[in-house]
Amino acid sequence: MTTSISPPDTVPEEKAATHRMPFWVNQRLGLLVLVIALSVLFGVLRPAFLDQQLVLFPLLRDIATLTVVALAQMVVLSVGHMNLAVGRMAAFGAMFAGLGYDRLGVPMQVGLLMCLAAGAAIGAVTGWLIARTGVSSFVVTLAMDFALLGLVSLMYSSLTDDAAFTTHPAGIDALRSYSLADICAGPICGSPAVPQIAQFTVLAMLALGFLYGCTRIGRELLLTGANPAAAELSGIPTGRRVLLAHTLSGLLAALAGFMAAAGTGTFRASIGDDFMLPSFLGAVLGGTLLTGGVVSVLGTLLGTALVGVIRKGLDLLGVGLESLNIYLGCVLLLALSADRIRTVVSYRKVVRST
Amino acid sequence: MRFPTRSVLPGVVAVALLATGTAACTYKNSDAQSGSQAAPAARTGAGADLVDGSKTKVALVPGGAHPYFQPWKTAGAAAKKTYGLGAVAFDETAEWDQQKQNNLLSTLAARGYNAFGVFGVSPTDINSTFADLKSQGFPVASLGSCPAGDKDDADFCLSTDVQLAAYKAAKAAIAAMGGKGTLVHLTGNNVDANTQLRIKGVTQAVKESGGKVKLLQTITDIDTDLQTAQKAVSDLMAAKGSQITGIVATAYNPAVAAADVVKSSGSKAKVIAIDDDAKILSGIKQGTVTATVVQNPVGQAEIGTWALALLQTKQCTVRSPGVEVDSGSFVVTKANVAGYDKARQTKTAELKKQFADKILTCG
Repeated sequence: MTTSISPPDTVPEEKAATHRMPFWVNQRLGLLVLVIALSVLFGVLRPAFLDQQLVLFPLLRDIATLTVVALAQMVVLSVGHMNLAVGRMAAFGAMFAGLGYDRLGVPMQVGLLMCLAAGAAIGAVTGWLIARTGVSSFVVTLAMDFALLGLVSLMYSSLTDDAAFTTHPAGIDALRSYSLADICAGPICGSPAVPQIAQFTVLAMLALGFLYGCTRIGRELLLTGANPAAAELSGIPTGRRVLLAHTLSGLLAALAGFMAAAGTGTFRASIGDDFMLPSFLGAVLGGTLLTGGVVSVLGTLLGTALVGVIRKGLDLLGVGLESLNIYLGCVLLLALSADRIRTVVSYRKVVRST
Repeated sequence: MRFPTRSVLPGVVAVALLATGTAACTYKNSDAQSGSQAAPAARTGAGADLVDGSKTKVALVPGGAHPYFQPWKTAGAAAKKTYGLGAVAFDETAEWDQQKQNNLLSTLAARGYNAFGVFGVSPTDINSTFADLKSQGFPVASLGSCPAGDKDDADFCLSTDVQLAAYKAAKAAIAAMGGKGTLVHLTGNNVDANTQLRIKGVTQAVKESGGKVKLLQTITDIDTDLQTAQKAVSDLMAAKGSQITGIVATAYNPAVAAADVVKSSGSKAKVIAIDDDAKILSGIKQGTVTATVVQNPVGQAEIGTWALALLQTKQCTVRSPGVEVDSGSFVVTKANVAGYDKARQTKTAELKKQFADKILTCG
């Protein structure tokens, strides 16, 4: 789902313009075709690429986690901001889940709720600081990243011997290793390639799709991103929308932190260390504008999947570390170039429609 | 600011959906994976001499690129030739991320590798990875670092005893300082179980001095790269250089940086480094580095590959699965810098005998 903001009176023109555009211009369709084509290519070159247990299951588990990370970035990009602390927020939220399991002995669901609440709270604090002070989100989230880096490390060092919470609550190992093959309706079971942890990704996507596609608040978020001054003059409480965007971003980052911890085994400070680049890559590749006002929930999934498929395919082909990073760097460059082109095209469309 | 009730609503809905999602599924018993591991069936007759390793493909997977692991590449290739293995791969693309390492291991399994020697990125998480690999029937060795805690889900762990190595280094530093003075400890990532063990080893040695040696500071998180380490050590020497009489570095980059900075600043501090980088060995020869604690990565890769091949071919089994074996650490000073590699080779030969006699059961 791509959602962009446009004043109500221009909607018919916009729709007409969209209808006039050839179907192959649709970015999500392009991404989908690219993901499928690359999967087929890698499958032909290395038939092991289609191994459900050894390749597709871990690939989809990785994509599920990184898609939530990218959604966390997408939400703040929708208001024209960015969240450089997305990884640390993941670590911060996960730390509360680990603390709950290790010290309080809470069940898995309660720990998850603690994790989400902590993530939402730190996101809300960040959003509040930005909204109240007017300081750039870049600066505030960068400062938050440093603050959380120190705080999380300090907490783990002082609370644990091994710098990690290692208690496994009931159900978390199942969440890590179970696939749809473990859910059966009579004799028919699901695919062993689809990890059950992907349920969180699906739920997050549905919730955000509903927010941006079907609610007034969603459209207000986009208008805040597209033109904050116009949004303010239109009566939109932009400060609260910024607060909401950062709260949701913190919540989703914490969810990703929980998924990463469940995926690897323990709750530790290094969770989220590598989240920042994939968060931008997935969102921007998927069609979300860095300047705000346009988001794509489905595109974010496809963008993340594209990067995952390329990386997995290159791994299977035995490409070395240096070449792997060159290819991934090229993908990022292409993504940013495509974003610039789409910004120009969007601008021209707006000029034409007014 | 008015409380944004409507703004919070979507978030609350999302949280409720997520929380119920975890409880909504019913599962069938998923023990099929764990049952797929082949029962050990030792071949008979050949002892610990590998009979036919042509179908064994060993993957040596460090946590990421680091100079420490470079000997694994050559030792693995040599083991392939010596034992006639099908293949030995050295793959350092895990980029110090546990999730990426897990994905890399499953990819290598899909490529046909059937035995794994792994340096886990996260010592607290790596047991889950080992359990996954074992459940698919692959022999696994934890090389270079053992999992944190008492449990080890790998077949065996062949690693430096990091706490003991740090203790040895600190003892050597204290001896060089004349049994008294002020010591600084330079090490790696603070939120890593192995770093915590190194800190414990140094603290223990300082405690044994009975208060004559003071641990001025433990500087962590400076093993990311040489530049970071050099800056940290330069800052340290500028601020407290006159007080410091000993430096013990238990990570690679800080060790090289300490050797450099002490040499250039003309400090009289006694430096005890780790590993055998050319700069450190040159520092020992010139007298700017008092000693270094050398580890045995060659032995880890060589013996690890050989033992994995014996396990993969079902020629041997491990007597006590999860056993931890110290691959050795050696204090190298000016007196033995020329011949320390012989001691390392002797230790490697001893390790092979130890595996054949005490660790493995072979038919």
